[in-house]
Amino acid sequence: MFPGKYQAVHAAALTVVLLALAASGVQAFIFSDPGSLYTAAIPDSWIYQAYHSTDQLAVFYGEGDWDLLYFEGLGKVADQSVRELAERSLALYGEPGGLSGFQLETPLLPVEVGGLQGLACAYTYQDERGNLLWEYRIFLLLPDGEGFSIALGSNGPWVKNNPPVLEEVLKKWQWTD
Amino acid sequence: MAVDRLRKLSAWVIVLLFFSVIAAPVQASAASSGKAGAARFERALGGGAVPEILKQYGGEYVLPLGQRLWVEEVFRRLVGAAERQDVEYTLTVLNSAELNAFALPGGYVFITRGLVNAIGRDEAKLAAVLGHEIAHIEEKHGMNAVLRQMGLTVLLEVGMLAVDFASADLLRLAGTTLLELISRGWGREAEFEADLVGQTLAVRAGFDGSGAVSLLDGVLNLDSEDLPMKVFRTHPDTQERRERLEANLASFWPPPAAVDDPQVLERLNGGRILAQAGRNDPRGRYIVSLQENGAGLHIFDLQLGESALWLEGASVRDFAWSPQGQYLAVTLDEVSGDAVWICDRWGHVKRQIDLGRRRASQLSWSPEGKQLALLISDSGSQGILVTYAEADALVPMAADLGVEYSTWLEDGLFIFTGDAWYCISPPPVVPVTVQNPVPQVLQRQRILSPTVIKEGSTIRLTRPSLTMP
Repeated sequence: MFPGKYQAVHAAALTVVLLALAASGVQAFIFSDPGSLYTAAIPDSWIYQAYHSTDQLAVFYGEGDWDLLYFEGLGKVADQSVRELAERSLALYGEPGGLSGFQLETPLLPVEVGGLQGLACAYTYQDERGNLLWEYRIFLLLPDGEGFSIALGSNGPWVKNNPPVLEEVLKKWQWTD
Repeated sequence: MAVDRLRKLSAWVIVLLFFSVIAAPVQASAASSGKAGAARFERALGGGAVPEILKQYGGEYVLPLGQRLWVEEVFRRLVGAAERQDVEYTLTVLNSAELNAFALPGGYVFITRGLVNAIGRDEAKLAAVLGHEIAHIEEKHGMNAVLRQMGLTVLLEVGMLAVDFASADLLRLAGTTLLELISRGWGREAEFEADLVGQTLAVRAGFDGSGAVSLLDGVLNLDSEDLPMKVFRTHPDTQERRERLEANLASFWPPPAAVDDPQVLERLNGGRILAQAGRNDPRGRYIVSLQENGAGLHIFDLQLGESALWLEGASVRDFAWSPQGQYLAVTLDEVSGDAVWICDRWGHVKRQIDLGRRRASQLSWSPEGKQLALLISDSGSQGILVTYAEADALVPMAADLGVEYSTWLEDGLFIFTGDAWYCISPPPVVPVTVQNPVPQVLQRQRILSPTVIKEGSTIRLTRPSLTMP
């Protein structure tokens, strides 16, 4: 009897701990980029890909076979506004030599990332094998004139509906002074 | 003699016949001649041939976004370094697998997608190709070849003719001549000149001038039977071009300048004896030492915990790792004389430099690991020989200074003559960074299979790779 009673108490305690963890939100780790530009909370299930990342590019793989999250610092751009950067980029994606079958799925809408106003949209395109890929992309223009982008890619439209991963990332995003 | 006289006579007949065809419009509107008119004519002449070129080469090809921005940035830098202000340069990539590039009068530069893809991401080689083509336009090779073919050059030079460049007849005739000439090239001397002017242009634009040498080495290594390279059929002897380009590399290095900065001198004098420089593997995997009998190099691989012998049988005298650990340079005593070998980091020989009776010592890599300086002793005199890790080229320098020692620091190559230090700054090489970039679009591969990479005796499995559309 004693061991069984002990097990029940133990299980109850564990449930409380798990519920507390669930209530606190998604488990995440803090990622500080090598370029010392930002820190972001990345859900534990997204794995940093050191092999594909550089000082300017941070790449994470999610659980799904197509799930991809990446942040990219572009360096100086000539664009005078974030809208100019976004529209120029989307125009190039849609041109010959850009993305095959490119189609804008949502218009550019305002989004805030760490107190900085950006623009976001979702689009689809086809990879070399004809698979339809979705991507949600945020364009940002930093105060010193450098472009920045956050992108979430997968093979389904879920990426455009403010998924938990992006909510978590954006909620705790901080620009380094 | 009779044949020569006949040739001269027939040439004059052709010139006079031609002169009679165009003399009327020429004299009627001489007022429209001049430099601006000539530039407009040149543009119209080249522009008239563009549709035919597009037709012959499958039309225009649009490169994938990232590659396009990169190619355009190389071209933009070259055009920025060009001298002619009366030319509007444009670059067109042609939809042809052929390896070819050419230029038309008026600023039209063409390169096939086959050649762009063959060059890969080697910006020095791309700058060499595009620089060569821009040089043809800078030097008006196409324009001059057309005028020469039409027999007008002599008349223009002696001032007997003021050409009406606005004449439609002249443009039509010149256009026909241009199309005939394109497949034959602009002439042997024009090609030699475009090589050197193009190489100079590339260096002025911040590219490595040795790219032109590597490019032609690639051509020389191609099997002549699978040459889809029409460009090289129109060009003079590749070996001779390569030798001229290699010899021209020295012109980009300024003469040695005396060092008088006390701080630099203190640093140099304090670190003159650097017997261990380059002896340690910068990546920390290999411990390399000379064999007691000088046969090969003894290696201890810290990763595998094993010993090995590299360059077995070779009489290795000295060695030096490049600063990034990418290359290992060795000096050897060969039967035929001295030699320097450049190996990859797994001990495979990439290049062999035969020095003959000259003796090499003091291997010194540039901070980026792209160039290697050797102290060369030859019949009592000592000079410096600089070679390239990726190009089979040798640049002699400071032969008259009586060099005793040399070392490479961030500011350049420093040489000591026994009583003074001199510095030679290499021509600056600026990496290509795309101006006004846009975010990359990355893709993740669906099948999570690793890539197997074999590096010497090591097999490395990578994570699934991303592709960039």
